[in-house]
Amino acid sequence: MTEGYEAGDINLVDDEVRYDDDEVVTDDANGSLAELPVRVATYLATSLADAPDEVEVTSSVQGATVKVSVTVAPSDMGRVIGRRGRTAQALRTVVGAAGAKVGATTNVDIVDV
Amino acid sequence: MEWVEVTGKTVDEAKESALEQLGVVEADAEILIVAEPKAGLFGRVRGEARVRARVRPAGPRPKRNRSSRDRSERPADEASSEPAAQREPKPQAQKAAKPKNDRPKAEPKSPRAGGSNRPVQEDGEMAEGMTLEEQAEVGNKFLMGLVEAFGYEATVEIRNLDDETVELAVNGEELGLLVGPRGSTLAALQDLTRTVVQSNFSARTDRILVDVAQYRERRVAALQRWVAGIAEEVKASGEERALEPMSPADRKVIHDAINDIEGLATRSEGEDARRYVVIEPAN
Repeated sequence: MTEGYEAGDINLVDDEVRYDDDEVVTDDANGSLAELPVRVATYLATSLADAPDEVEVTSSVQGATVKVSVTVAPSDMGRVIGRRGRTAQALRTVVGAAGAKVGATTNVDIVDV
Repeated sequence: MEWVEVTGKTVDEAKESALEQLGVVEADAEILIVAEPKAGLFGRVRGEARVRARVRPAGPRPKRNRSSRDRSERPADEASSEPAAQREPKPQAQKAAKPKNDRPKAEPKSPRAGGSNRPVQEDGEMAEGMTLEEQAEVGNKFLMGLVEAFGYEATVEIRNLDDETVELAVNGEELGLLVGPRGSTLAALQDLTRTVVQSNFSARTDRILVDVAQYRERRVAALQRWVAGIAEEVKASGEERALEPMSPADRKVIHDAINDIEGLATRSEGEDARRYVVIEPAN
């Protein structure tokens, strides 16, 4: 589904997401599939962050997979990731539930600026 | 930047030897507490404190190399479900930089890392004396907002289970997605709620439970019924019985249920996610 994509290598993926296969929809046009996962991810990240204003959530859709990138201030990385990644994992799980509601598989990356 | 991992009798001791190895002062290091002393919850070195540390990289982005893949492959374990609560500050006299501190609730991981240097872990600001009610209110607000983000119609009920524990019960129609397979999404919700509450109050957050659609309630009832049967068998046979590995929450239900029964006792064995309860005849 997402061959060539390495979790964590979000910096290699620019706004104009290009995949060789499948349907490609960029951030501007991803419409309804990404809407709910993005809304939930944004809510969670801003709730967790000390600096909610610096939270930025972008997404791209490929087929039924929504890739969500959550950017937080460097000072908030620790909190959003949590001990041993526990908070990040919880965030992924809940965003995954949002994806399931609209029939999408989600893939959440947390990146600092 | 290279991480070093060291152990010590206390967190402070481990920290000190880590700093020694790195040759830097605490403010210039990034320190992660991997295991608390004597809790032994991470298992590997039961009884010892274990910390990881590295020289704080210059510039404001210390954690770029901790990719999401690394994190997601780490197993969740019970120790991290009890943040801050078990941490007993043990300031040492020779550590002038560290203030004597007899508040048992919130020990910052790197107390001298002032200014822009934040602790690595999810400790919040040092706020004191927040009541459980206030904590519950923050959790309540968070859950209501989340329910709304999902587009669900639901209510959150704040229930005081006892003097020390409050349950935030989310109720409404079609909330199955918020429970998830075997309660996994519910567990995540509880983690997030506790983290949000903790970031506001920096208090122990194991006093806050989250339930959705009475899932937890039903789970507890089912566990109690199930274990009652096993208790009878142990009583009849006089032979101890090991149960399958369970989550910390489920184990607590078992411990509580069995310890109410005359003539039976429980203990936990195994490590991390494999931890399980053994029911044994008392004495």
